Amino acid sequence: MSRSLENILFGAPSPRAQAVTRAMSALAAAALLALATGIVYRFHNAGQLDARFWNFFAWSTTWSFLGKGLLGTMASAAMAAVIALGLGLVLMLGRLAPLRLLRWPSVAAIEFLRGTPTLLLIYVCFLVLPQIGIKLSTYWMLTLPIALSTAAVVAEVYRAGVLAVPRGQTDAARSLGLREAQVFFSIVFPQALRYIVPALVAQLVIVVKDTTFGYVVTYGELMQNAKVLIANYHALVPVYLVVAVLYCAVNYAISKASQRLGGPMH
Amino acid sequence: MGDVSRLLVDYGPAFGQALLLTWKLTLLSFVPGFLLGIGVTVLRLLPLPPLRWVLTGYVEIFRNIPSVALLIFIVFALPDLQVVIDYEPSVILTLALVASAFTADYLRAGINTVPGGQIEAALSLGMRPLRVITAIVLPQALRAVVQPMTSLLIALMLSTSLASQVPFPGRELTALVSKIATDSAAGIPAFAVAAALYVATGLLIAWAGAALEKKARILR
Repeated sequence: MSRSLENILFGAPSPRAQAVTRAMSALAAAALLALATGIVYRFHNAGQLDARFWNFFAWSTTWSFLGKGLLGTMASAAMAAVIALGLGLVLMLGRLAPLRLLRWPSVAAIEFLRGTPTLLLIYVCFLVLPQIGIKLSTYWMLTLPIALSTAAVVAEVYRAGVLAVPRGQTDAARSLGLREAQVFFSIVFPQALRYIVPALVAQLVIVVKDTTFGYVVTYGELMQNAKVLIANYHALVPVYLVVAVLYCAVNYAISKASQRLGGPMH
Repeated sequence: MGDVSRLLVDYGPAFGQALLLTWKLTLLSFVPGFLLGIGVTVLRLLPLPPLRWVLTGYVEIFRNIPSVALLIFIVFALPDLQVVIDYEPSVILTLALVASAFTADYLRAGINTVPGGQIEAALSLGMRPLRVITAIVLPQALRAVVQPMTSLLIALMLSTSLASQVPFPGRELTALVSKIATDSAAGIPAFAVAAALYVATGLLIAWAGAALEKKARILR
């Protein structure tokens, strides 16, 4: 990788091309500005810029309530991530096991959990499990399904990492007399982890997104708290906009972190 | 097994319709999302800084926003701005926007697999930059992203479940399961049937994607 593709394509423009580019840039800027103005005008016309829709954001209670929601989101996402990392390891070990009795159920579990929408699993914990007498708290009704479906994806990520470790490593470790478990846990898996850390962190974005379904089970995460705020202040647009910005900021930070983690390795 | 067969007697046609609706929502959101994603990718290549910034913002926003939050905004908040979109188009719009952002992201990575020498060669043949993009860069980039696009299509298919979050006249699979579980005690067999249909659809897409990937792959 030397020059970026844009650089090669448009790298050495003629004076005329430069002029055209400048004119087009100005035109694009003007069009985008017009679009932005149009949106603001629409807000104004609809009365959405009125102080009563926004002034409660100046109150600390609003932010502490949203902050509590964000903490709820984090608590659920973190627990789901921890369970997924552990359970994913178990599923992956099962999938790579030489014993068919272990392998097939693991493959089935992975395909099943990966292939069904998290929302459907949430509905099962919310609507179906109580019918057969299993009553979970709202926290677990949200966290458990997310953890399960993430575990299946994580298992596949682990597997990709383990398969990427050169075979010679296993052979060398075996020839040194290490037991199978030692070969895996002290030689192969640590190396596999280094390959897949960016992918695992990126998976966290999906976990955070999935916790948005918390309002389905009325668990107090960001989206649910937003709904409560809206019920109090009847300010749909401002609250949903602020919440969307918060979600985007959190997920953007996680994405950037995963890119940073991926950087120095290669 | 008896539970499932009794369920299928009662709700068989409903499951058929739900599956068809899931497929329909998937297709109707994937195709425009894909085309929009290609458009965004091409526009982001142009040497127009304001356009690039805004489109980069577009991609980052729709890649990082939870789809439900976007759907709820479109369905419940936009009417306050005097923009009223019906439920079904709202779901399709939500999924298409998210799909377009991911398409643009993957396609950008696909473009990076095209060797720079090819572009220099094309330019030195006298081709204009836009022609180089459409004739040299895009075709190869598209062939390089078959696999991530397959994953995206599967993820999109699973995301159609969020149609159950708006009062939809038709019911897709997840909405149907939630209705059956509320109306009767047949929640578990209903869930099993829906899960089987989702998994089967996903495997079908994965299989088709793998076949296409085999044909389209460029060996470098």
